[in-house]
Parts: sequence; structure tokens; C-alpha cells
Amino acid sequence: MLGLQGYLIISTLLFAIGFFGVLLRRNTLVLYMSLELMLNSVNLALVAFSRYNNIMDGNLFVFFIITVAAAEVAVGLAIIVALFRKCRSLMVQDLTRLHN
Amino acid sequence: MVEYFYYFFAALTLISALLVVVCRNTVNSALFMILSFLGMAGLFLMLDAFFLAILQVLVYAGAVMVLFLFVIMLLDVEATEKSRPTWVTLLASLLGFVALAMGALYVFYEPGSAALFSQQLPEVQTMPTDAAPMAFTTSVRSFGYGLFSKYMLPFQLAGFLLLVAVIGIILISKRSLHSDNNNKKQ
Amino acid sequence: MDFISNLSHNEQFLIILLTPLVSALLIALFLRRRGTLAMTVSVLAAFIIMAVSLNLLIDWNGKAFESSMQWMSLGSFHIDMGFYFDHQAALLLFVVSFVGFWIHVFSLGYMDDDNSQARFFGGLSIFMFSMLGIVLANNLFMIFVFWELVGFSSYMLIAHYFDTKEAASASKKAFIVNRVGDFGFLIGIVWTYWHFGTVNLVELKHMVGVDPSLIVAGIAFLLMCGFLGKSAQFPLHVWLPDAMAGPTPISALIHAATMVAAGIYFLCRVDFLFPAEVKNVILWLGAIMTAYAGFCALGQRDIKKILAYSTLSQLGYMAVAYGLGYPGLALFHLACHGFFKALLFLGSGSVIHACHHEQDIFKMGGLIKRMPVTSICFALGTMALCAVTYTSGYFSKDAIIEAAFLKNRSVYWVVYGAAFLTSVYMGRLFWVAFLGKPNSEKAANAKESSIFMLLPLIVLATLSVLGGYTKFWPQEMDDVFIHQLHYVYETIGDLGLDPAMLLAGIAAWALGLLITFFFYHPGAKEDRLEQKARPLYLLFKNKLWFDEVYNWYVAKVQDRVANVFGFLDLALISGVAVRGTAGVVGLFGIFFRGLHVGNLHGYVYWFLAGFVLFCAFAFGFL
Repeated sequence: MLGLQGYLIISTLLFAIGFFGVLLRRNTLVLYMSLELMLNSVNLALVAFSRYNNIMDGNLFVFFIITVAAAEVAVGLAIIVALFRKCRSLMVQDLTRLHN
Repeated sequence: MVEYFYYFFAALTLISALLVVVCRNTVNSALFMILSFLGMAGLFLMLDAFFLAILQVLVYAGAVMVLFLFVIMLLDVEATEKSRPTWVTLLASLLGFVALAMGALYVFYEPGSAALFSQQLPEVQTMPTDAAPMAFTTSVRSFGYGLFSKYMLPFQLAGFLLLVAVIGIILISKRSLHSDNNNKKQ
Repeated sequence: MDFISNLSHNEQFLIILLTPLVSALLIALFLRRRGTLAMTVSVLAAFIIMAVSLNLLIDWNGKAFESSMQWMSLGSFHIDMGFYFDHQAALLLFVVSFVGFWIHVFSLGYMDDDNSQARFFGGLSIFMFSMLGIVLANNLFMIFVFWELVGFSSYMLIAHYFDTKEAASASKKAFIVNRVGDFGFLIGIVWTYWHFGTVNLVELKHMVGVDPSLIVAGIAFLLMCGFLGKSAQFPLHVWLPDAMAGPTPISALIHAATMVAAGIYFLCRVDFLFPAEVKNVILWLGAIMTAYAGFCALGQRDIKKILAYSTLSQLGYMAVAYGLGYPGLALFHLACHGFFKALLFLGSGSVIHACHHEQDIFKMGGLIKRMPVTSICFALGTMALCAVTYTSGYFSKDAIIEAAFLKNRSVYWVVYGAAFLTSVYMGRLFWVAFLGKPNSEKAANAKESSIFMLLPLIVLATLSVLGGYTKFWPQEMDDVFIHQLHYVYETIGDLGLDPAMLLAGIAAWALGLLITFFFYHPGAKEDRLEQKARPLYLLFKNKLWFDEVYNWYVAKVQDRVANVFGFLDLALISGVAVRGTAGVVGLFGIFFRGLHVGNLHGYVYWFLAGFVLFCAFAFGFL
């Protein structure tokens, strides 16, 4: 049987991959998707802990995370669309209005 | 037997995630993301969180990623990512990845943590009882029990949050009449 | 008058002290542009002071009066303000208020064509306030506060014609030289407080009376420095001749009758603190000054500068009297000198005003025909200054000379020679300026001055002639000196030298006046000494090069030291400390501003760095 360790390693790696994506990609949409990956990794860790401690709270928390993540994605995409209209580009290096 | 499922789903999740990150085509990235979510759902199933597995597929893969795809198609990005990232960026990102992974994984190989992780999967009930309402069960009823007793406030707030999010999105996406006349291309 | 008599002593002193302050405040705040109104306010204040002072003196029962009030306290240390009224204060109060009032009246006439009358009269009021503070003070701190205030009023009034370069630099010179003396003065006062535990004059006198071994020569020497600065004695005498750049009433009031006398008055006040060694130093400094100033006066052409050197010389006499151990005689000469020197300055002011600000005596001449009243008063003042027999100067100055004869023979010859010099330079002045024929347009057109200017002249002339008769003096005032005066007369009388002294005195003034009459012809155009013995004349004119030496010292030594300190101040304090801290903060700002790269990935890397640091810390690597 796989211990808690296994699931946590997957969660950690997923998180690291998500972070790698945030660092690497310059397309805003793909960047945002990597962020979602990071959120997902947290979901997995929570469920694993919840299962191994025989408690429901972790699952409930994941429930809320999914809800909030959905709302957040919607708002974030709306912002990206508005930004695209303003700056005519999705590339991160063109979004420098806060420079200095 | 179970290990094979575990390895399969784990590999599915991780490799899909990696492909999301490295893929040139945005649509492909989104589709690989959906695949990764499916792998996650499988992992949830292995952890006896059936409701959450369905929720993951329905909401995340079904709604969120579809939204992503809509936006990708809406924004009509054509000449994106034709240029490869520079070597510096790649190196820095890899370093970041390594740093983060090492830092986090260090926890598992610290002396004294082995006892923490080598637990067996405890047995679970199928229905919650009054004696232990928050015990882990495989039924949806526990969700009900928890959401409407202990997590009542976050539940209401989540509803409120969704309302606010909807209003916000409508506001952000609204085009003013001014820009309507100016932006003909839209 | 009844109303004033019913006030207590304290209230009367407060009125005397605060009336000029109120007048000055009124002028400064409201009457800056109303010259006539300012004049009225100021003269009214002076009249009130004189009236209340006279009333006080008449009503006084002769007992010393002291009252004190705590002004400021820091822990166990406190500074008091109070009044101490004894016979010395009574004498000086009379001199200051009386002469001050008549000079105010004179200024009404003299400053009638001036543009900034309000400023002048405001300054006069502030000066009266400060001087009366010194006269009435009961402790050394209060004296010091008013000492500085008097210095400030002097600075302000000398710079009345501030658009001329010489007035501006003269006022600065006066203030700075005074400050040098006051530095020693302040250290002396602090030392006094440290040594005795109190600065109250009454308490100090009591402590020293009980235990004379408490006297420290160092304290007395430092207190003497204040006297040297204020009364313009050697080596701090250089400011007084330059101070003549101020208007003539100021020269009369401040630099003849009152402020420069404040030094002598202070010495007499703290007489009990001075041991014999320090008095000896004062004696010789005064003696040298009497002669030196007399020589310098022979090299001057400006009427006011001659009178200024004469003041220096007479102050030297007062210092000699004090140094011999007769402070009462010094105060007596102070009072008489106040009368006739103020008269002489006011007379010269009348002459200057009539000649449209011509001050060179060789360009005047024949004034006696055109300005008879002024000339006669001036003549009376000259006679008093030369100690012509039975004028007031005769009584006071000859008393000092006789006291010197009794105590210290060498000093006697010096001051006797100085008396001869006095009549020489005063004779030069009078014969050249007032007799003969007019030597310039301005002198030819001079006419007699207005009643405002003549009335004080007449009053002061009367006092110069009659003031020496101690019979006329009320007992409250002459108690200061009458015993010492009688002691000197009796001792000389016992030695049988009465007639000899009289003859010697007559010889001094008569010979001087006669010689100058024939040497400098009346109404001369050119200085004959300059023509006949030019090197000698130049020697007198250069005043022993004191000014040049001081200028060299200030320019070469002091300025360089000040530049070093200025550089240190600029580099260390404002550069490193002030701008340095600002710069460091600025560097922080630049650093944090650099974090705003505007690039999203930059922010993410910073996030990663923070996270790594946190993990290292959490895992115990840091």
C-alpha cells in the first residue's frame, strides 16, 4: 500500500511543475493555467491528509477551494480579456504599466 | 494491483502537467490540462473521495477548462509563442523548479519523518454517525453534515463570493460605449 | 504726585523698569510708520521714568531695599529677577533718568529731518529699559541679561544709518568686541555661582563679609573682562571711536553718560569681590588709558571722535579711582562726567545739525557769533572737562588726582599729565571750531538750533557748573562718595599740600588752554601740528595701530580657524550626518524602487527567493 508519502510527493512535484510553468512561460493564459495546477496540487495534498487522518475537514476544504478557484478563474480571465483589449497583446513582457 | 493504478494515475497527472507547461500551442496546453485533471480525479478515487472526484471532473475539467478554451479561442492569438524562451529564462526556471522541489521534498527525507508517513490506510465508514459526524466517510452525506454545521459560515460566504464574482466579471467585461465606437476590430 | 508716593517701592521700580519696555513694544508693533507719534510716546516714557525716579529719591528713607522674584528654575538651579536699591543705585538712577530724559528732548530737535524716527525712538526706549535693568538688578545673572540687552540696543542704534558702510561695520564691531569681554564676564559669573553657590549681590556681600578668604582673584579678573568690554578700556577700547558713526544723541546717551559707565557701576557694585591684585591691574590699565586716549585725541579732526577719545580718557580716570580703592570717587566722577560729557556731545550735535552734518573741526570756525547759546554751553562743558577751578569736573577729577598722589606716585604723574593733555585737545577743539572766521559754506550758514535742542544744553550746563558742590546733593545720593571725598581732602590738608594741589590743578588747565590758543590759531584751516611735526601727528592719528593689529588677527588667524570649523560643520554635520542619513534612506528607496521591474517574472523570482529563505529558516539552516 502506498503511504501518505506517495501522495504528498505527487502533490509536491505537481506544485513544482506549476511553479516551473509560471517562471517559464510568457503567454498569460498558459501562466494562468500553471497557477491552476498549483491549486490542484494543494487539493490533492488536502485530500490525502484528510484520508489518512480519518477526518472529513480536508474534503470540505477542498470543496471550498474548488468553488473559489472556479470563481477566481472566471474573474481572472475577464481581467485578461480586458487587458488584451487595452494592450493588444497577451505576452507578459508587454504588460509593464507598473514599471517604476 | 492498487499500486499500478496509483503509478498510472500519478504518471498521467505529472506528465500531462509537464506537457501543459512546455507545449507551444495554447489549445494543446489546455487539453493537456484537462487530461491532468482526469488523472487527479483518479487519484481522488483512490483516496475514497468519490464526491470530490466527480466534482473535479464536472467543475474543474468541465467548466473551468472549457472557460479557458473559450477565452483562448476568443482572444484569437495567432503569433504567440513563436519565439522560444531564452536560455537564461530556461535555466532560471529550471533552477527555480529544482529549488522548490528540493525544498519541499526535503521534508520527506528528514530523519524522524519516516514514522510520520508510513501509515496504513485506516478503515473508513460509509455513513456518518451522530457520534462522530466529521469522521471520514465515503458518502456525500458527510459533506452535508459538515457544510451545514461546522462550515456554515464559509458556505454562506462562498455563495456570497460567487455572487460578487459574477457581478465583478460583468463589470470588467462590459465595453463602454466610447470604446465601442473606437474599436472597430472588436 | 500723591498717587505715585502711595505706591510701594516695588511697584515704583516696576514702573520705572517697564515703562520704556512698553513704549518700545508700542512703537515696534504699531507705530513703525508714525514717526511723530513714536517720538511722543518715547519722550513721554522718559518723562514718566524721570518723574517716578525723582519721587522715589525724594521719598526714600535711605535704607537699602531688596526684592526678588524667581524667574526661571531648572531643578535646584534658579535664576531670579529682582531689585536692589542702595546708595549707588540711587546715584546712578538719578543720572540715567535725568540725563536720559534731556537727551530724549534733544532728539526731538536733532532727528526732525530723519526718515526713520520711529526706529530711533524705539531703540532709545529699549536702551532705557536695558540700562535701568542693570542699575536696579540684584543678582549677577540679571545684570548679565541686561548687559547683553544694552549691547544689543547699542548695536541697533549705532546702525541707525545702516546704509552707510561705516555705520554698519561700526555697529558690528561694537557688538563683537563687547561680546569678547562678555565671554570672560560670563565665565566669571558661572565661576561665582559655582564657588559661592549664589549670585545674589546681598548674599555675596554677606558671605564675603563673614569670610574674606572666599575671594578668588580669578573670578575678579574675569568679571573685570566684562568691564573692559563695556567701558571700552584697554585692550577692548577699539569700538568706541568707531561707534561715533551713530547719531549724536546716541553718542551722548550711550557712549558718554550711561552705557560705558555701566562697567564702572558694575565694578562698584561687586567691589567686595575684588582683591588688591586685580584692583592694581585695573589701576594701571586705567592710567595708561587716560594718557593714551589723550594723545590719540590730538590726531583727530572729527569733533565727535575727539569727544570719544575724551570719554575713553575719563573712563580711565574712573578706573584709576576704583583701582586706588575709592569706588565712591569713581561714581562721583561718573555722575559729573555724565553731565558735562552729555552736554559736550549734545553741543556738538547742535553744531553738526546746524552745519548740515559737517563734522570736521577745521571746516568750522566762528560759530560763537552765529550760535551763541550753543557756544556758551559748550564752553562751560569744556571748562568742566578740563577741571577748571570750581566747576564740577574740578571737584571730581582733582579728587582722583589727589587720591593718586596719596597712594601711588607714579600713577599720579600719569594722570596729572593726562589732565594737561585734556586741556590741550579740548582747547584745540574749542579754539578751532568756535572762534575765528567760518572756514566753509556750511559753517557760514549755521544758525542757532531749536528750543528742543537748546533747553537740554542749558540744563546740563547748569549742572556741569554747579554739580560739584556737594552741599546741593541730597544725602541719599552723595552718601556713596562723600566720606571718601572728605577723607582725601583732609589728608591732603593734613600734609599741608592744599595750596600746592590747587596751583598744580590751575597750571594743568590754564597752560593747556593758553598753549593751544597760540599754537592752533583760532579758526585755523589746517592742523598746525600736522604741518609742523608730521611724524608726531601721524603717530597720534594711528592710535598705536590697534585696529590694524586686530584686523590682521581676525583676518589671518581667527578667520582661518573659523573656516576650519566651518568646513568641519559643512562636511561632518550637514554632509555626513544630515545628508548622509537622507542619502541612506534614499538608497533604500532606490533599492526598493528597483524591485518594481514591471516584469511579472521578476516578481515571481522574488517570491521564490522569499520562499527559499523561509524554508531555510524553518528547516534550521539559518
